[in-house]
Amino acid sequence: MDQEELKNLKVDKTVDARATACPGPLLAAKKAVRELDSAQIMEILSSDAATKRDVPKWAQKKGHEYLGTVEESGYFKIYMKIK
Amino acid sequence: MENKKMTIALFSGSIDKLTGASIILAGAAADDMDIEVYVLMQGARAFLKDVAGDPEKLGMAENPELKEEFLASLERLKVMPWLDFFREAKELADVKIYVCGLAGKIWGGEEVSDFVDLVDDIVGIGECITSMEESDIHLFI
Repeated sequence: MDQEELKNLKVDKTVDARATACPGPLLAAKKAVRELDSAQIMEILSSDAATKRDVPKWAQKKGHEYLGTVEESGYFKIYMKIK
Repeated sequence: MENKKMTIALFSGSIDKLTGASIILAGAAADDMDIEVYVLMQGARAFLKDVAGDPEKLGMAENPELKEEFLASLERLKVMPWLDFFREAKELADVKIYVCGLAGKIWGGEEVSDFVDLVDDIVGIGECITSMEESDIHLFI
């Protein structure tokens, strides 16, 4: 997905993990997945640079669809579709 | 598909290595691994009820003169205390924490109730070896 498509996505759950360092965002994502149904969209906010690689790899490994990452000022948003 | 299994032999009771171990544990739990932690020697002291939550009672394995800087950085970066990572990992995955019977006795921990509530049981080294044999990944920390 391109940046415009990502920005216009209808998000079902936002996980704000900006207050935590690695592996906090990963743990937050893992917990939040439990609350979502198949094909729903999750958005993870993080200011931890390692998360940009960590969460997409984890998502792909778990069978979720990584949709992309949007850079914001001082943080970024990671999008995935739940399997 | 069956979950992968990780076994951690946790020898160290120092705050830096406990923090590293807890982060690996949390990552493995997020990955849905089944994890068994065998707490050995110095590690057993760190899990005693009157020690576990108090960083002042734990040393640093490497560069002990930098302990205060290390703790201050963890706080600045909002990294959870090591014990909280253990607790989160237990909530997320099948994580068992076993204290070595001998190690417990060295530090005055004879019963499971002498340790923090995260500890599942007191066991012998044979179980640790068997767990390592059955694991996909085993670590000594």
